[in-house]
Amino acid sequence: MARPTLGTAVEPPGAPPRPVAAGSRRPARRRARTSRWVGWLFVAPALLVYAVFVLRPLVLTVEYSLYRWDGIGPSTWVGLDNYVKVFTDPDLVDTILNAVKLIVFFSAIPVLLGLVIASTIRRVAASRLALVARTVLFLPQVIPLVAAGIAWSWLLSSTGLVNQALSRVGLGGVTRAWLGDFSTALPAVGVIGAWVLLGLCTLLFLAGMSKIDPALYEAARIDGAGALREFFSITVASLRQEIAVSVTVTVIAALAAFDIVYISTQGGPGNATMVPGLEIYYLAFSERQVGVASALAVVLVVLVLGCVLPIQWLAKEDSP
Amino acid sequence: MIVGRREEWTGRLLLVVLMAATLVPFVSLFTTALHPSGSYPSGLDWPSHPRWGNFAAAFRTAHMGALLKSSVLIVLGVVPISLLLATMAGFALGHLRMAGRRLVFLTFVLGLTLPFEGIITPLYYQVRDMGLLNTRWAIILPLIGLFMPFSVFWMRAHFVNMPEELSEGARIDGANVWQLFWRIHVPLAMPAMSSLAILLFLWTWNQFLLAIVLVDDPAKRTMAGALGAFQGQWGTDIPLLCAGSLLILAPTLAVFLVFQRRFVAALLQGSLKG
Amino acid sequence: MSRRTRACWHRAALAAVALAGSLAACGGPGSGSPQAAGPSTSFAAPPTCGTSPVTLEAYFETGFPIAKALTTEFSKQYPNVAWHIREDQFAVITQNAPRVLADDPPDLMRLPQVSELVKDGLLQNLDPYASAFGWDKWPASQLQQLRLGPGGRPRGEGSLYAMGLNFSMTGVFYNKTLAARIGMTAPPTTLAELDAALAKAKDAGITPITQFNGGATGGLAFPLQDLMASYGPAGPINDWIFQKPGATIDTPSNIRAAQHLERWIKAGYFAGDINAVDYAKMMSRFIGGDGLFMFNGDWESGNLDKQMPGRVGFFLMPPAQQGGPSAAMSAPLTFGISARAKHADCAAFFLNWVATNTAARDIAVDVGGSHPMGPADGHMPAVKAGTVTASTLAAGARIADDNGSMDFIANATGAIYAKSWTPQLQKLDAGQQTPEGLLKSVQKDYESQVGS
Repeated sequence: MARPTLGTAVEPPGAPPRPVAAGSRRPARRRARTSRWVGWLFVAPALLVYAVFVLRPLVLTVEYSLYRWDGIGPSTWVGLDNYVKVFTDPDLVDTILNAVKLIVFFSAIPVLLGLVIASTIRRVAASRLALVARTVLFLPQVIPLVAAGIAWSWLLSSTGLVNQALSRVGLGGVTRAWLGDFSTALPAVGVIGAWVLLGLCTLLFLAGMSKIDPALYEAARIDGAGALREFFSITVASLRQEIAVSVTVTVIAALAAFDIVYISTQGGPGNATMVPGLEIYYLAFSERQVGVASALAVVLVVLVLGCVLPIQWLAKEDSP
Repeated sequence: MIVGRREEWTGRLLLVVLMAATLVPFVSLFTTALHPSGSYPSGLDWPSHPRWGNFAAAFRTAHMGALLKSSVLIVLGVVPISLLLATMAGFALGHLRMAGRRLVFLTFVLGLTLPFEGIITPLYYQVRDMGLLNTRWAIILPLIGLFMPFSVFWMRAHFVNMPEELSEGARIDGANVWQLFWRIHVPLAMPAMSSLAILLFLWTWNQFLLAIVLVDDPAKRTMAGALGAFQGQWGTDIPLLCAGSLLILAPTLAVFLVFQRRFVAALLQGSLKG
Repeated sequence: MSRRTRACWHRAALAAVALAGSLAACGGPGSGSPQAAGPSTSFAAPPTCGTSPVTLEAYFETGFPIAKALTTEFSKQYPNVAWHIREDQFAVITQNAPRVLADDPPDLMRLPQVSELVKDGLLQNLDPYASAFGWDKWPASQLQQLRLGPGGRPRGEGSLYAMGLNFSMTGVFYNKTLAARIGMTAPPTTLAELDAALAKAKDAGITPITQFNGGATGGLAFPLQDLMASYGPAGPINDWIFQKPGATIDTPSNIRAAQHLERWIKAGYFAGDINAVDYAKMMSRFIGGDGLFMFNGDWESGNLDKQMPGRVGFFLMPPAQQGGPSAAMSAPLTFGISARAKHADCAAFFLNWVATNTAARDIAVDVGGSHPMGPADGHMPAVKAGTVTASTLAAGARIADDNGSMDFIANATGAIYAKSWTPQLQKLDAGQQTPEGLLKSVQKDYESQVGS
């Protein structure tokens, strides 16, 4: 699913005061003052639902993280102990590392590959084939992530299509149960995520590229620039906004991964594919360690912010 | 534009390869679904006797009729209410010069990157204490809240671009704020609202985490949440599981294919604006 | 950033801190006291399901038809009782148990390990039912594993908190056709004979052992515990499982058992991908003729008799010494009643019915393949000779004589299986853990879980 993200324009551009029709100055000012406060009536319902179901739980997560609680009985204050546990327990630290490793698959591959692909098919972007492709490439974004997980679990199993194809090509020795093998389980989960996100990135870049003035490419070609030069100086440079967006969306998908891992490996084998999202779920609801789960949740939120804000800041910095 | 012949063909080839890579999992689901129940077919082979009945069996065992109804109810709860609230909020933040609009907007923006796992634990206890656990409202209300940052952001972006003159004219004619909103701005905001509706529909239908944590009864979850239960219950019967997965994918696929242009535009814009 | 927006940030930050501070000052979450599942009133007469319509909420394990078969028969005999059954895989039930019992309690539920559930007061104390229905008069060993001391520890003595729908017997199933191919005419009687059979199978190109080890359930625990019982006495293992103070799993004979398992792994006696094979896939493989041996329990006897009639045999794990005592994992198929169940009496009545009613006992043996609980002289249906069900029932008698029944090492604590045994066994299979390290790691986890 394409997650909503921070926009590049975090604040509304301050609109200059508009000229008021002469002769209605005083009523306009009174009406303006009313509308300043009437606005609150309009915002209130949205703010209320948001506060009750998002802000309050967010604050409570922080509160729970400072206690030891099993969800049923009374709780005991433990201060920052849960955070210490999150950063010193090797299993929990591994989950955070796994999430960061997933960024390579969920984010780097779709974005880079998407750029290359989009720039290669740019030239046929207006053809009918491309229009069909637009629909097809979007399918992974439309289906539930768990469906993608189920389909790929099946493909990656020891008798699945991937192994079948490898054997056909003569790489039979490499075949294995990709999701059950300690060394390949996390990359295998990463492949599923890359499949889900590649189409989105490619189409984003294609859409962005259609805005680039073809004359730029003409000029570059006349100047004798090769395809590589063209790619970096023109394509990538003009797609700064789209790159920022796809990196943001995919990084969030990687760090907050839950559905795919839950359905395909449940975090196994061992701890090889355990990610913070899933670990929070197990800690809170199976192991009744609400405090540690909440501490991990806070760390996850901070991690996401820590990755996303610099991207947004970098993208804003050089925008014209 | 000077387009090399070779470049054109590389482009086409690449597109075809990409499309194949995208479609292979779906095809694999399909061929596996046709195998006899309980077997472990390998790869993409087409069964000697395709069991079309597997789809009917999956429909029955998973009570898909009830699942469809449940998902539709949840979507009917989330989308209209979100649209209304977000449009009102977007109007206030983007068009009316309300006091403190920057602070309020910032509050919403805070929630844009929030992963749902970040709040799921207290949300569970809160929903339980509200007595809503195991009901559809357990999914509907939190989703409205969780989608609010993006929805407000989206609608506000639309209203910011609405010229002041429109409202001035209406005010001079004696319209109060509500009439201004309802009679003039909402109709104009329809395109933005319909795109938002499509996005919210998609995200609600595919919502998984909230469904499995807050609702135990698969018949009250979203279809994606029910798929999780389906896998839990029938995960050992691969052909049946694949058939069930395809049936669960089918509604979003169908809606997507019908509205594809709006969908693609909405998703692309959604990512860009967001 | 403009000064105004900086001021906005400051105001927002202050508000957030104030909010957090006020919430913290309010005291921690969950100040409500849990509902203590204290012993309820004793009954004048054994409770029944009454005559008015009742719908019992049940949460069962998928893939094991015995529970559903019994509920169907029960509804036939008592038409006013209807069932609303929810099914999930056992691993999911294990994950969901605390949450479901606390917030959405079913009347009857297949239970994973119960120690923590009892500690949290989530299960109904069944002592009143035991005395009302006369369960105390059954052979004590049947209910021993279901008794827990106050606070859930130790197990093996104290109040009754769960019941069983049959008690199972485990051992080694073998494919008779494949056994004939390697010249194995009788089941091995010592561990050395078993090793020899395994080697012969491997040489003949047959997968020696079909086992599961994937997902959230490490099936290598079966052969491991069987080897432990081959090498050493069952008593200390049971003490560890029952959380008796001072018990440890890291003993010399257990280390030898784990090393023996590692030898099997390294010799390639298991398929290469067992870390990705779940229980159902293992069954599918064995039934399909892939694999000579399978370490499993008699809950599959009925299924195997149906799918591979006459081609399956069973034997108890042979001891290391010739003529030594046999031991096997034998545990009831644990079912419990939630402390907050709406129809606890009716659920208890059902459990009693399963153990005493003739038709129910027939179903238990035919469908479940294992021995019903209940009085020692309870009705037993005639079992066809030569079926694997007959073998497993006979083995049960042998174990009773040798006093060799153990609970599963996976049941020592609520989390020991998913968090400890399974990842360590998966690592052992992948060559990333040593036998000594495996036992040490599990013991360490055990101590931290039991101590908490």
